[in-house]
Formats: sequence, C-alpha cells, structure tokens
Amino acid sequence: MANPLAQGLGVRRQPDPCVLVVYGASGDLTKRKLIPALYSLAFRGLLPERFAVVGVARTEQPTRRFVSSMRQAVKQFSRDPFRTDVFESLAAGMRYVATDFSDDAGEDTVGEVLDELDASRGTGGNRLHYLAVPPQAFPVVVREIGERREREGWARVIIEKPFGHDLVSARELSATVKRWFHEDELFRIDHYLGKETVQNLLALRFANGIFEPIWNRQFVDHVQITVAESIGIEGRAGYYERAGVIRDIFQNHLLQLLALTAMEPPIDFSADAVRNEKVKVLRAMHTPGPKSIVRGQYGRGWIEGEPVAAYREEAGADPRSLTDTYIAAKLFVDNWRWADTPFYVRAGKRLARRETTIAIQFKRAPHPPFEAIAGDGLRPNVLLIHVQPDEGVSLAIGAKVPGAGMSIRTVHMDFLYGGAFREGVPEAYERLILDAMLGDATLFTREDEVEEQWKLVDAIVGAWGRDQPTFPDYAAGSWGPARADELLHRDGRSWRRH
Amino acid sequence: MGVVAEVERKLARQRCRQDDETELRTSTMTHVVWAPPRWLPRAKRVLAGLAERHPARTIFLVPLPGRGAGVEADATVHDFAIGGGREVLSEVIELRLRGEAARHPASIVLPLLISDLPAFCRWRGMPDWDGQALHEIVDVCDRLVVDSNEWQGLPGAYPELARLFDRIAVSDLAWRRGLGWRVALAERWPGIRRVERVTVEGPRADALLLAGWLRSRLRRDVTLSRRTGSAIGAVRLDGDPVSPPAQPALSGSDLLSAELDTLMRDRIYEAAARAAVSRTPG
Repeated sequence: MANPLAQGLGVRRQPDPCVLVVYGASGDLTKRKLIPALYSLAFRGLLPERFAVVGVARTEQPTRRFVSSMRQAVKQFSRDPFRTDVFESLAAGMRYVATDFSDDAGEDTVGEVLDELDASRGTGGNRLHYLAVPPQAFPVVVREIGERREREGWARVIIEKPFGHDLVSARELSATVKRWFHEDELFRIDHYLGKETVQNLLALRFANGIFEPIWNRQFVDHVQITVAESIGIEGRAGYYERAGVIRDIFQNHLLQLLALTAMEPPIDFSADAVRNEKVKVLRAMHTPGPKSIVRGQYGRGWIEGEPVAAYREEAGADPRSLTDTYIAAKLFVDNWRWADTPFYVRAGKRLARRETTIAIQFKRAPHPPFEAIAGDGLRPNVLLIHVQPDEGVSLAIGAKVPGAGMSIRTVHMDFLYGGAFREGVPEAYERLILDAMLGDATLFTREDEVEEQWKLVDAIVGAWGRDQPTFPDYAAGSWGPARADELLHRDGRSWRRH
Repeated sequence: MGVVAEVERKLARQRCRQDDETELRTSTMTHVVWAPPRWLPRAKRVLAGLAERHPARTIFLVPLPGRGAGVEADATVHDFAIGGGREVLSEVIELRLRGEAARHPASIVLPLLISDLPAFCRWRGMPDWDGQALHEIVDVCDRLVVDSNEWQGLPGAYPELARLFDRIAVSDLAWRRGLGWRVALAERWPGIRRVERVTVEGPRADALLLAGWLRSRLRRDVTLSRRTGSAIGAVRLDGDPVSPPAQPALSGSDLLSAELDTLMRDRIYEAAARAAVSRTPG
C-alpha cells in the first residue's frame, strides 16, 4: 500500500529497503557505471535508508579492497563531487563475495551474506540482482539465484544486453529465467532507454500539441537514426567477433529508438501501455530486402589526428574476419501513420564522431516562392533529437538573411538540454536502477519486444550467409562505406551531413 | 578523453556560465580556417569583424609540420554584441595540428562540424595543391574561400585551383574585390565588346581575374597590362579610363562575410579564373 502520509509532500516515492547484488562486480560496468550511479543516487538521497550492495565476482579480494576500488571508481567516474560522508554511508552496506558463479558453496556464501545484511541493515529480504556478466553466464547465474530465492521480500533481476544471440537462444534464455521469475520481475536493460533525451522524445511528442499532428507520413519525408561511435572494439574482440554491430547495437539500441520515434501515443505512461505501443511498431516492420541493407567493416584510418588500426588488426580479431562493424538499413513501419515513409538507420564503429541522433526530416514546402534565389541555402526542416553526447533538440528552419533582397538561409537553433535546467542531467543507469528498485519496468524491454527485434535480425543475418563481402570497405574516421550513401541516393536522398 | 570530447565539454561548460536564460545556440554554418602560424593573427582579426553577421562555429586549423602526430585544442565561447543589449554567441575552436596530424585535418574537423549546416573553409595562403590536407578539406567542406592575391606563382596557380571546381564551390576574395569595377565595365556594354587591351593598376590577382573575366564573357582575346597597386585604383580599356566605382573598399571581414552568404557554385568566376592564364603579359 502506498504511504498516505507522503501524499502532498512533494517527496519522490522511495524504493523499499533492499540489497543490490551485482554479479560481475569486478568488471568495467560496475566500476564505470553502476557504483557511480549508486553514489549519485545516494548523493541526492534517492536510495532507501536501509540499503546494501553485494559484489559477486571470480576475482579473489576482501570486501575492504572492493570498497577501496569502488571509492576510486566514484572519484574517477561520478558526475558528482566526492563527499566522504555520502560514500561512507554507501560503503557501510557494501560486501564482496569471491566465487565462481556455478559454485554452490560460493552461492551459499552469497546467501549467508544476504541474510546477514537483512539482519544488520533491515533490508527485509528484498533483492535486486544485477547480471553484469558475459551472456553465456546468464543461465547459470539465474539458476543459482532462482534456486535460492527467499520466501520473504521481492526478487527482481536486471539482465544486461544482449538477451540471447538470436531468436532461438533468446527464447531458451526466457524459458530458463521464467522457471524462477515472472515477467514483471525481469528488467532487461537497454541503457539508452534511461537517457534523458530518449524520455524527452516522449515528452516532445506527447506533451506538445504542435508536433503530434505533423508526426506522420503526410508531413514527414523520412527519418534518419544514427548510432555512431568513434571508438573501436576496445579489446572485446571475443564478444564482437560473434556479435557484430547488428547484435551489439542494431538489435537493441537502434530498434528501440525507432520504436519510440514511431509508436502511437500510449494511454498512460505505465510500463505495459508504453511497451504495448513499442511492440506494435516492431511487429509492423517488415524484413528489408538485401538491397535495403548495407554492412561494412572498418579499415585503417585517422581519428582526431591519430592513426588507428583496421578491425582485422585489432587484438583477438580474425585477420580475415567478415564481422560487421557498420550497418545501414532502410526500414518501413507498415501502419496507418508511417506507410511508405522510410526510416534510414545506421550504426557503426570507428565512425567520424560519437553521435546518436534521431532526425525527423519534414517534406519541403510545397511551393517555396524563394527557390530560385535561395539555391542550396534552403533545406527542408529537420527536427534533430540528440541522444548523445550532448543531449538536446535542434530545429533547422529557413530564415531570411537580414538586408535588402530575399536571401534565405537555413538556421540551426540548438536547445541544449543540460543548459536549460540547472539540474545536471542524470546518468541513464541512475534512472534505470532506481526504476528497477521501484518495480517500474517502463524503460526496460519486454520479452515480446526482444523477440520481435531478434526476428528482424535473424532475417537479415540469414541473408548474409549467402554473400561474400569485400572487407574492409570504409576507412576509420569516415562516415561509413560508399554503398551506404548509395542506399539513400537511389531514393533521391542523402544522409544528413555531419 | 579525446580532443573532440574535451572541446565539446569546454564549450558546454562555458555556455552554461552565460546567464540563467535558456541556453539556445544559433548557427548558420561551420567556418573552418586553415591558418598556418604566420597567417593566424590576421585570420583572428577578420573573425572579430565577422562573427556578429554569421553566427557560426569557427575552427582554426593551425598546421605545425614536424615529427610525431598530435592535436592540441583550445575552445572558447565568444559573445558579440549586436546592439540593443543583444548578443550573438559564437564558438571558436583553435586546433594545433602537429606532425602527421597536419596531413589529416578531416579526422578532427569532421567530428566538430555542426550537423546539417554548410561548412566553409577559408584557406589562408597558397595551398599545396597535391597535399593530402587540401584534398581532405575539399572532401568535407562545401565551399573553399581563398584569396589568390596571397599566392606566389600567378597565373600558373589558377589551373591548379580549377582542378577543384568540380569537387567544391570556390570563392576568391580577389574576385570579390573587383566586383565594383566589373559593374562599372558592364555599364560600357555594348561599346566594350570589341575591346583589345585592358590596363589595370592594382594587385596582380585582381588584375588577372578582371582580364580573365573580360576574355571569358566577351569570348575574345584581351591583353592585360598591369601597374602595381595595393587595390585596383584605375582601369583603362584600350587607353580609355573607366570611371571608378562609387562603392568604398571593403574590409577583410566585409569581403569574407559576402562570400559566406554564397552557397552555390560561381561559374562566372570559374571561367574567369580559367581564362586568367589565356593571354597574359610576362
């Protein structure tokens, strides 16, 4: 029952007392994202008073060393200044257990530590299990957690992407997880959904009367979604050789951004209402033909004044690898709102810059009387939603150049999200961990969404087995292979210029 | 943190320091300036007179050839007062490209271009026509702005420039400076159509382009005689003086500003530049 005394006090709903158990606690994600996010939540008083964190990993180390390395991580990666009192309040509930995930004795130790925390910190048997482990370890860890599930309190599981390798493995994983947990206890994380601008996309669409009437095939010429990274594979060749960009980015981040852009207004902002609308979009997407897909792999090049190696030269990569580090696709959402409106999407490694954007390109004015004098200066209106690195919204509009004559230029107005509100923009993981503690799954992906995403990916990858691409086909530091440009040129369009 | 992330962070921090108004950046272009060290002070002076007319992100590229490779960056947000208590916010980035990095400017310019807006490059001094840097800039920008009066070896450099015409729109400040005189000469139509000799008192590039223009538009050989001058001071057609234009001489900022308003290819200039080498005195 919700606390009736809290009503009208302007106080955010507090999560229940709980323990966050991080599996894979010695990894980069814990150090760079999870612990700094917890610190920021503690910094703002958003964590429950009775709270604890248990790190579980193979690395042998005592709790005191774990706490010490997390202190360094907070100092290095937190968006907030380091305050000893805040960190110490968090550290008081920190424990570390060194174990192999499949080792029963080790898991029993985890159980004992959790019992001790329930007794000493009053966490009431509530558990939030965070699986920051390699995908192949998911079934084992889930089984160990499930078999030791407590009778008291709630248990929720956060699973990092990728959820499966294809549709079959995703279904197998779901079946394994569901032996112990219900769908509403599962939180499949796609950290993009925790970004402020992604949520702001929903606010932009559904809280402003001016956009929704023109958010359709009648006014929108096409949509471009770009998820570009300038970094390479950062020593993750083992994972990347199997995944490629299609499983690493396209299957999750990119399709989620597309779904949020194209979805119908939900009846409310509840988890199921939002996810019902997203899954309708994913179901309405038909499989693109081979001519509508371009895959690529980076060769040597220059980024920010430094020479960088080709993908095949990365440590651990096959020197004759055919792994995709770039994908571009023309997709269609076959429904009343978007029929025949192309969604051009692309994602890649070692591109010219790190940038995730959604660009809504509107149709040209039907008869601009200035065409002859404006020349190339008058471009179609573009509403650009910046997801990263600078979260914000830009609008490109045609404006008259001051002075005599009727010269028209495109002017770019940038609303930089961080600049408008004095409150700093929270990290995606802060929002998502807090939501999971509250049991709010709105910003997490549901089983049927994941399955629809895999269906599309499987169909694309299936066709790839029959061709033999000539890789590498784009230079590191460029905007991808020339064939990706041709994909749009065939339709009389071009990628947004960067 | 990479150079680009560092630049973006510095700019974001400075924008936030402005005031409590909602932060709104308005831009019409990215303005790239290739400025070897000896040209840098002059390029910065021109920028000071330019920014209020062209809200832009300006990127100074300062090549420092030598060993190794590296990029050093400074980034600042400038307020330019435009009267009535209003200001235009402009971002200025200075990148010093050391060693090999100077041969690969696109690798640092591309990530810093403002999306969806045209990119102009003002190339200071004489380009190395076969150099990697020029060709990378040509591939990532929409318009190349030069001043052929800054070059040695005229008119031989014009055919080199002409090789770029199909790849990028080109502006030449030497051409822009002669606009008033071209208007004055055009008023002599139709009498001018049989002219054989033009005498120009002024800079070499300005004179060559004026003669090239007459040759290409009138489709006839026109001999150029030139006397030295810092700006075109006098023009004679077959010995007959032409009345000087009424317009006052434009400053460096005015000249560049006019070119930054132009987006399309200038085919009349291109023809004049090609014809500048057709018949020239030794």
